[in-house]
Amino acid sequence: MRKFTYLVPKTLDEAISLYQSYGERAKYIAGGTDVLVKIKEGKLAPDYLISLKHIISQDRPFLNHETGELYVGAFVTHRMIETSPLVQAHYPILYDAVKNIGSVQIRNVATIGGNLVNAVPSADGAIPLITLDGKANIYGAKGQRSVDLLRFFLGPGQCDLERGEILTEVVVPRLLPRTGSAYIKHGRREAMELPMLGVGVLLSLEADMETCAKAGISLGVAAPTPIRALQAEKHLVGKTINEETLAEAGKIAGEESKVRDSIRGVAWYRREMVAVLVTRMGMKALERASRNAEVGMGNK
Amino acid sequence: MHNFCSVGKRVPKIDAVEKATGRAQYIQDLKLPGMLYGKILYSKFPHARIVSIDTSKAKQLPGVRCVLTAEDIPDIKMGVYKDNRPLKKGKVCSYRDEVAAVAAVDPETADEALNGVEVIYEPLPAIFDPEQAMKEGATLIHEEHKTNVLRMPWKLHYGDVDAAKKEAAHIVEDRFTTTWVTHCCMGASGSIAEFDPANNLKIYSNTQIPSLAQKDFLDALTAMGLKGNRVRVIKPVIGGGFGSKLDTYAYEYIAILLAYHTRRPVKVEFDRTEEFIATSTRQPTITYISQGCDQNGKLLFRDINMILDNGAYTSWGATTPSVMMMPITSLYRVPNVRYEAKCVYTNNTYAQAMRGYGNPQATFAIESTMDMLAEKAGIDPIEFRRINANKPGDVSTQGLRITTCGLEECMDAVKEKLEWEKPKGESEGVGLASLIHVGGGARVYKSDGCGTIIKMNDFGKIDLFTGATDMGQGSDTVIAQIVAEELGLQIEDIHVIHTDTDICPWDVGSHASRTTFVAGNAALGAAKKIKARLLELGAKQLEAPLEKIALRDRHIQHQDDSEKRIEIGKLLRKAHFSHGGQMLMAEYFYDPANENMGKDFRGNMSMTYTFGTHGVKVKVDEETGKVKILNYVAAHDVGKAINPMLLEGQVYGGVMMGLGYALTEQVILEKGENMNPNFRDYKILTAKDVVPIEAPVLETYDKDGPFGAKGIGEPGCVPTAPAIANAIYDAVGVRIKDLPITPERVLAAIREKKGLDLCGQELGRDDVDECIIEE
Ligand SMILES: Cc1cc2nc3c(=O)[nH]c(=O)nc-3n(C[C@H](O)[C@H](O)[C@H](O)COP(=O)(O)OP(=O)(O)OC[C@H]3O[C@@H](n4cnc5c(N)ncnc54)[C@H](O)[C@@H]3O)c2cc1C
Repeated sequence: MRKFTYLVPKTLDEAISLYQSYGERAKYIAGGTDVLVKIKEGKLAPDYLISLKHIISQDRPFLNHETGELYVGAFVTHRMIETSPLVQAHYPILYDAVKNIGSVQIRNVATIGGNLVNAVPSADGAIPLITLDGKANIYGAKGQRSVDLLRFFLGPGQCDLERGEILTEVVVPRLLPRTGSAYIKHGRREAMELPMLGVGVLLSLEADMETCAKAGISLGVAAPTPIRALQAEKHLVGKTINEETLAEAGKIAGEESKVRDSIRGVAWYRREMVAVLVTRMGMKALERASRNAEVGMGNK
Repeated sequence: MHNFCSVGKRVPKIDAVEKATGRAQYIQDLKLPGMLYGKILYSKFPHARIVSIDTSKAKQLPGVRCVLTAEDIPDIKMGVYKDNRPLKKGKVCSYRDEVAAVAAVDPETADEALNGVEVIYEPLPAIFDPEQAMKEGATLIHEEHKTNVLRMPWKLHYGDVDAAKKEAAHIVEDRFTTTWVTHCCMGASGSIAEFDPANNLKIYSNTQIPSLAQKDFLDALTAMGLKGNRVRVIKPVIGGGFGSKLDTYAYEYIAILLAYHTRRPVKVEFDRTEEFIATSTRQPTITYISQGCDQNGKLLFRDINMILDNGAYTSWGATTPSVMMMPITSLYRVPNVRYEAKCVYTNNTYAQAMRGYGNPQATFAIESTMDMLAEKAGIDPIEFRRINANKPGDVSTQGLRITTCGLEECMDAVKEKLEWEKPKGESEGVGLASLIHVGGGARVYKSDGCGTIIKMNDFGKIDLFTGATDMGQGSDTVIAQIVAEELGLQIEDIHVIHTDTDICPWDVGSHASRTTFVAGNAALGAAKKIKARLLELGAKQLEAPLEKIALRDRHIQHQDDSEKRIEIGKLLRKAHFSHGGQMLMAEYFYDPANENMGKDFRGNMSMTYTFGTHGVKVKVDEETGKVKILNYVAAHDVGKAINPMLLEGQVYGGVMMGLGYALTEQVILEKGENMNPNFRDYKILTAKDVVPIEAPVLETYDKDGPFGAKGIGEPGCVPTAPAIANAIYDAVGVRIKDLPITPERVLAAIREKKGLDLCGQELGRDDVDECIIEE
């Protein structure tokens, strides 16, 4: 493995100025579970690694009680998200996703920010956050800006970050009442597995507890970037949610996907699984929404 | 039964703490003074002429001590078929072909030097499908060989299969395929070679055949003009073998050659990518099989034609048909058997021995068709197998002499533990498959022997030198248990040394599930000699008749008078420190009375055979094609469990390896190129995938085994795939004939059965959307 210098800034500004001094020869590193693999494989050869892990910041997801927004700092590890009671109770789609990333060892160091910036179509962390309409807060030499997380992904391995910019957090807007959500990673084994397909579904219901007020359907590994299946979502809004309507939505989502053959799975199978898993996750989301309503949890 | 002190006990492996605490020294941990690092440049094409190699840039790099190509080395022929060379001359025949090697002061410099080696290739037409490669006029992998079919005529015909076919009431006929899978040893390959000033070679290497490796390296020295010089093979702690270390490999010769040229120790160590790309796989097979039975379900014949993808070179793995003959002729009673196998050169990676040595591939076809035949005959799969079960005293058509045989008991255990007859839930099913495997050594070489030397010190402790190889399976522990039992000592009194050919006796290798049986018998033989001497000394000391004294608890004692006893150490000191003093040492070489195969492949290749039955309950997700294992029972007749804990470990590990083989694992080769040389995409199962496994052990006390034991190293992974395939059929009525049984294959089969296309549309309807299958 190539040798590099490891730099440990304590603030965002320090990190950015380090990046500016070294430019192309530098690379940010958070948990390193993507960066180091790439360096070992010879796909990256930075002379400087600028660590983001020592920047003082929130180390766990938290709720802004006034706005009802969820804040997930970019340097938060998957394990922190997984073990957050807040996430477990109210954002099960995120919990479903992070709890199956890699292994405990990986989740202890790997960050959600790294997962998003790495921007692979299979990023398990991305699907729930785009389903939740997350926004990416970005900080750089020119200051702060914010983009829809969905627009953040530009292509395989490409995201909307200018040179030296740092993703600082993802903000999830207040959930509608009577909301349930679920995510599934479809793979071949139980751990250390990149998804062959990732499917997230979020449903918000009307007071009748069966009519769909809002739907979010997101797919991983179904296109060059994580995507929302907008037509499928549209199909559900205003309809009664049941196995039938979900299956219709699933079929539409399958048609919206741009699945391909790869060594990890064949296109026809992936497309078929979109239909099956959208239905299943939809049913799970429905059940969770009902359960939340019963115990009066939901979101304020 | 005998009341044992050490044998039959759940003793943890004697090196468990050392390994768990990271103190065990693997090849990766070893570093010799002045050591250089060797790296290998592999081919960029599956088949190409080497037009030129320019090493000048690499040689000029500071820190580089040596760059070698085929031009710089003598003609060292490798492998059973002698068709492979450490560095390839003239042309490359697969992506893993070694083209050049460098030695440098550190691994980074060596890597950089590789980048500086310029090779110009002229690509040749390549061939990746063995059935294509067999055709007249196909591109030849090795022109001088004239054909791509190896000249190893694996062919037998006992009885009269054609006549039996006419008689049969029910016949099934089908085609089964298996693919490349790899051993995935946690300890990657590596070796360090070093020459002394007189050009004697010392090589540290991960090998499961130290004595045969020593011979291979002696041949290499001869080719290098060093005939008569010594070779000492030292094994570091080995992190898994599974057959992968049954040959010597190019990287070992490269380490030797680099060390010779640089006069320094040279280490070649594989990284994980290299381990995937440049070590060998299990043989992929294409099997055409038919089996038939009479009205009552009695098997009449078995007819098998098999094609093995040998890859570009030949390892011991090409002799796996010899072991496949065992299940083919002798799993169940079959009066008429025909078998022909062809190993075929292709431009794929070359295959090698892997746990089961062909048996899993053969058993997949046999046991899948056994179920198909049972269904045709209208007989329950277990009953059908019972009708045909092997029994003690049987001699099969091939001449295998079945001594102990607990096959029916294994089936009973599976039937009971799996609740075979209990009604199943929706999409659930049960399936089973059995196995026969060599359990008393296997004569695949001129000798099937193993030597042991025991020396006792003044304190009643033993140093035991064995030819066996402990590569993680725990043979050191089992040998210590056997010797402790025989001599009334504690396990910790026995220090087992197996690591060094300078001091350890000969052994043919840790393969064929033979080590407990053969090395165990060798150790027992030596221990018996020691015991006789101890008893003699003890009888004199205690003034008691020989037949009245026994060894127990580190003492020699009178059987009727427990007061009359003496500590073994004390007795030894008395013997040592007296006039005409003596110390106890003994050697024993055990070569089982098994037979080489004769001209027609008849012969009792093993002293005894291990039997087993695996049963599995599955639930198939009919929408996704995923197969969930609800319960797994692996029952084996092991003769006697010397160490039930290690035995269960072998079975659990075997079953998980078998599950991977059945469901998830595949080295994906695209036009000969390995597309998944990492654990991300090579789907070996993880700790989280472990399924509930019960491993009932049946003890039949084999008279030839040490304390009745038979071999159990390989069986655990042999019948897993067909058991699962049979259970899937029971659950959803589709028969998968190709491994691995992926969800895609299961779903496609379910849809086909329902008359739908892959996308769930009815076949033949054109008013529905087209089923788009993208490239
Ligand atoms: C064994 C193993 C298993 C894995 N399993 C999974 C899995 O199941 N699912 C999955 O989705 N992924 C998986 N991964 C991939 C990886 O762990 C995740 O993508 C992880 O979240 C990356 O986070 P990190 O902190 O380690 O990123 P790093 O490797 O540190 O960084 C990744 C990239 O993001 C950049 N970067 C990091 N943080 C920021 C930031 N805040 N602002 C700007 N740039 C930044 C880095 O420069 C780099 O380009 C696995 C990886 C391994 C090695």
